[in-house]
Formats: sequence, C-alpha cells, structure tokens
Amino acid sequence: MKERAGYLPGISEDEVAWQTVTFTRNEEVLEVAVPVLAQEQMQQLAEQIKNNSRQVLKTLAIGEIVEILDKAVAVFLDRHSPYRRKAEQLLPIVTGYDPEVIRHGLTSFLKTFRKPQLLRFLAEDLGNISLLDDFQPRAKGGFAKAFGPDLIVHVWAGNVPALPLWSLLAGMLVKSGNIGKVASAEPLFAGWFANVLAEVEPRLAGCLAIVWWKGGDEEQERSLLGQGDVVVGYGSNTSLASLRSRIPVTTRFLPYGHKMSFGLVTKDSLDARKAWQTAHAAALDVIRYDQQGCYSPHFFYVQRGGAVSPGEFAKYLAHEMECFARRYPRRALSLEEMAAQAAWRQQEELTLFSTPTKEILGDDARAWTVVYEEGAQITPSCLNRTVKVLAVDQWEEILPQLIPYRPLLQTVGVASAPRELWQIAELLGRAGVTRITSLGKMTSPEAGWHHDGRFNLLDLINMVDIESAAEEYAERLAPYVD
Amino acid sequence: MVKFQGKVVLVTGASRGIGAAIARAFAAEGAFVIINYLQNELAAARTVAACQELGGDAWAIKGDVMSEGAVTEMIQQVLVEVGKIDVLVNNAFKPYEFDPDKRKLAWQLTWQDFQAQMDGALRSTHGLCQAVLPQMKKRSQGSIINIVSNLVARPIIPYHDYTTAKSAVIGYSRNLAAELGPFGIRVNCVAPGLVYPTESSRHTKEEVKEMIIAQTPLRKIASPEDVAGPVLFLASEWSGFMTGQTLYVDGGFIMK
Repeated sequence: MKERAGYLPGISEDEVAWQTVTFTRNEEVLEVAVPVLAQEQMQQLAEQIKNNSRQVLKTLAIGEIVEILDKAVAVFLDRHSPYRRKAEQLLPIVTGYDPEVIRHGLTSFLKTFRKPQLLRFLAEDLGNISLLDDFQPRAKGGFAKAFGPDLIVHVWAGNVPALPLWSLLAGMLVKSGNIGKVASAEPLFAGWFANVLAEVEPRLAGCLAIVWWKGGDEEQERSLLGQGDVVVGYGSNTSLASLRSRIPVTTRFLPYGHKMSFGLVTKDSLDARKAWQTAHAAALDVIRYDQQGCYSPHFFYVQRGGAVSPGEFAKYLAHEMECFARRYPRRALSLEEMAAQAAWRQQEELTLFSTPTKEILGDDARAWTVVYEEGAQITPSCLNRTVKVLAVDQWEEILPQLIPYRPLLQTVGVASAPRELWQIAELLGRAGVTRITSLGKMTSPEAGWHHDGRFNLLDLINMVDIESAAEEYAERLAPYVD
Repeated sequence: MVKFQGKVVLVTGASRGIGAAIARAFAAEGAFVIINYLQNELAAARTVAACQELGGDAWAIKGDVMSEGAVTEMIQQVLVEVGKIDVLVNNAFKPYEFDPDKRKLAWQLTWQDFQAQMDGALRSTHGLCQAVLPQMKKRSQGSIINIVSNLVARPIIPYHDYTTAKSAVIGYSRNLAAELGPFGIRVNCVAPGLVYPTESSRHTKEEVKEMIIAQTPLRKIASPEDVAGPVLFLASEWSGFMTGQTLYVDGGFIMK
C-alpha cells in the first residue's frame, strides 16, 4: 500500500521531492511518501499562509470557524467516511497499535472536538468568545480584542496518533495560519485532517500546511521557525532544547516535553465490590497507547486499610492486564524497547532478594509487568505496559517523593471519596501536578483542559487593549462635539 | 504425542473466527482438518496454510450447509478422498447481526425471522448429522459437537430468533445423543458467551462488552481460541463417557 503524507496548498505534487518511509505490521506493508520541500518552497508556503491568515481566517467570525471545524471532525467520527476508514486501516500499520485501540482512541479523542466542546474550550480560556471577533467592553473600562498570530509553527511528536489535532485546532480557533511538521513516526493524520478541512470549507484551503523534514535538519528548521510568530513544540527534552536554540528570541515558544503521570487509589475504592472496578479502570489507563502519552500512568499509589490490600490490588491489576492483553494486544516492540524492558525487569529482580515484600507479577512471556513494592521510591516506568503498585498509609507520605519530579508531573488519576478528593488535589497541586482526573480517564483529557497547567488559547494570542483614556480622548475629537 | 493423529475432523464455517480457531487447534494436535466454507476462499486458504504450519493437514471445501444437496456432495467427496470422518463440528451459522440497539423487539418478529434462524442452525446441523451418520454407525464411533450459545441459558440480550434456534439445537443434540449412544457415537454442545473479535461481534458496543465483563468471574470476553479447548476435549476420548451435554465457555458467566 502507498499513501502520501502532508498537505501543501499552492504547490503541485510534482514540484516537490518525495521521500519514502516504510511501515510494516504483521504482513502488511505501507509506504508513506513524505514531502521534502526546498528552502524557497518552505519560505513561499509560509508567506502564502500568513497572507491567507490575514485575508481569510481573520475575516471569519469565530462561530463560522467552529462550525467548519465541527464538520471536519464529524467526517472523522463517521465510521463510514473514506477518511475514517483510511485512518482505521493505516494507523495500526504506522503506529503498531492494535486496530481496536486505534478505533476507540480516535473516537474518544475526536468527540472532544465537536461544536459544544470547542465552544467550551473557547469559553474556558477567553470567557467571552466574541473577543476573537471584535473589541469587547471591559468591566474596568476600555475595550479589548484577542488577536491570533499570523503564523503558528507546530513541531509534532509521533507518540500518540492524531495528537497534532490539539494544537492545530487551537491555532485555527485563534484565526491563525498554521504550518505543522509531522513526525516520521506518525506522518499521516494531520495531513488527512487538513485535506478534509479544505474540502469542508474551500476558503480555508490556503490557511494551513502540513510539512515534514528529517529530524535535525537545521537549515530547514531555522528557515521555517524564523517565520513563525509562535512555535509549539512536542517531544523529548533534548529535542525541545535543540528546537529552542533555533528559535529567534522574539518568537514565543511553547514546549510540551516528557511528563510523568500516575494513579492514586484510596482505601475507599478498595471494598469487596469496587476493588475490581478500580483495578479495571487503572489497567485501562495503562494499556491505552501502551503508556506512550504524557498522561499515561507510570505507577499507582495504593492506600492500605481497605478490604483489599495494596498487594491484592496489584494482583487484580495483573489479571486485568492479562485480560486486556488479549482484548487489546500490545504493539510489537522495537529492539531498543525490548532491551529496555529486559533491563528494567532485571534491575527489579536484583532487588527482589533484599526486599522480601516486593513481588514481580507476570513473567517474561507476558506483554505486561506489574511490580508490587512497599516503602519504595518512585521511578519512571520503562512504559509499554509496565507499572508499579506502591503501598501507602497516609497521602502526606508521597509529597517528599514527588518533589524531585516536580517539573515532570502532569496527570493523576484518582479513585477517592469526595472529601478526600479535595484534600488530595490540594496536596498534588502543591507538588506540581496540573491535572487530576478519575482513574480510567487519564488518557482522555476533557475539552478545554489546561495542558501542563497552561492556557491552550491564551498562550497563543495577544490581547489588544483600547484603554479608556483613548476612548475619552477620541470623544473630544468627535465631529458631533458641541 | 499429539492427540488427534490420524483423525479426520470436519469443521463447518471454518474459514474465519471461531471455526478457524477450532480448525487450527485440531491441526496442532495432528488432525486432518476439513475446512468447510461458504464464500471467503482467501480466508479458507489462509486457515488451511495455518493448519499445515501447525503440523496437521488441512483441506478447504466449499459448500453451503443450508443446502441438502451440497452437504451430501461434500460428505461424499470427503469420504472418497479421506475415507472417514471421526469428528464433526457444526459451527457454521446463518449470518446474524448482533446489535443490541437495533435488534428486533419481541412484537416486531415475524415467523420468517424464526424460520430463517431455524434453517440456519437446526436444519443445517440436521443435514450434516444425517450425512455423516451412516459411516459413523458403521465404524461404531464418532463425536459430533454442535456450537450453540450461552444465550440459551441466559438471554442477557434477547436475540429471540437466534437464541430460540440455538436452544432447538441443544434439544436436537440431546435426542440424537440418546439415539446414537447405542452405536458408540457421542453428541455434545459447546455454548460460548460473546466471542470477540469475530465478524459477527465486530460491531458490539463497548458498553455491552463492559457489562458482560463485569458479570464474568474471569473478567474477560472469550476469544475464538478459548472456545477450541472444550471442543477438542469433547472430540477426544477424555470425554468418552459424556454425551448429550452442553459445556458453557463463558468465563463463568453461566454456572449450571
């Protein structure tokens, strides 16, 4: 099978050099042609998109843009549409994830971008969504309007399929032109979305582009990054650092780096009836995208004192992992990943003799590992369905453990009664956690969430104020002054 | 030592799903597996190849189990080529859309709906059994396994026509067991719960799967491979003193 990646308005296919990236899953082979633009072509593209952003996007009302995005998202939610079918067929080959994982993942992700959710997203950051259309009166006096940049450059990672949609849609919502660079690991979805958007509303056809260049191509990076008003980057801290070094100091840079998330299970959720449900939800968070997301759990803190002990919870979790291994099999690991798994396991086994309460559940033949420990320090997981269950008495105990990881903390999936939820939230907030959700929902952030504690839209825009002084002064110059 | 060396096993509807998993499991135990299929020649060829890779032998044979003529012809062909049939697994069934949201309600069903399922389940089973009986009787041995559904014991979703027809197959099997016991031929049923993934269950909603999982002690939905073990057991002499029984393969959802 062959597929073309990217979306290049105003440039015909034969004007571009193409490079092939080959993906295989089981016996299926997919050749993806990715575009390699010359530097002048990239410059032209950037100019063109900036122009279109000024002349087209900025003249549309935010309500119209929301309608258009809603229609495009609906295409990908329709299981019978050719684009959705293509996504369901090709993304498993590209990413290696099980087709069922992709199918459910796409639906649960895309449904957070329907019209009601997009409006909520806007309201969350802006309060009054008309701020994007006109100067709006401010309570303190004066007026303000939110202006999106002319060009946002996105540099995406390939860990979770379709993830580029977050920042791309945020860019469209602030009426900005967008150029996104897809990762070689998942070069397809963003291009498909751009094509659908252009089909749904041809006026937007020239307002965005999806490009590719080989990671580390400094010239290409420097030339495009210099054109953007804002750069949004996803990836490892190393790749973000190198990206930052190539961005002009006047350009706003929004980096989204590696994160560490975890689960927190209180004794209230460990009674005879709910213990299994809790383990089921926890396992779901682990198996979705094999822990590759920033919101995926690395470990679970489990409180002692429930009807089911933390050690027993670990065994419930292990059985759930085994059941999910059949229902949603883990993707095939690369050699490096297999070596990392083996090394991690070996390390854990070494300490088994000195710590009699420690248990390693699941053997080498299984596509998951659960480790149970008491009083242990937290460590990042080697991912791909590898988690630890750590027994805890009081939640205050965990704070000192979290502090060294402060810049990395993001999501915590919590199973607790209401009163404790607020106490835990306060504690976690102090530790640097930015998102608290329920177990089972860790990999599905709500529309309008504060990604890494920040504002998705506010960070992209400039507020322009008309101060009351200007308004009063203008009154003095009005032709109708008596 | 493989368990089914030298045995000939006919599995109907064996190109995909549960049937293919049963065929592969027999092949792994050294059986000669006849893979009956209706349409999907490519899938049947794939199952044949998988069986051969597993160390058994296999042969795909096209034939509509609903047609008496086709069934007789198919059995004749097998007997001419291979000489005998030791085990018959009636797994084929009439395509049925298992959609809990769009299923017909009791008062929307016509007799034609029931008739279609009776033809698909009972009539086809009857046809196959009749066709293999003479040679099984002659050899005073044979094992017939009919695949039904755990819905017969607990219609968690009332697919009236489908489940009624499967219930009829259980009644039919018990009578057949009573009649054929004296000839050394055993007849049993295997009743799986929801099996995923198969062509029929591809559109089962997650909510339904989760509801079933929550009520299943082993906490998962059956995979096609899970169904094969009990079928092999009923085909082997390990179950030599069992006939007229129904084994539920649903992780403990039904206990009886």
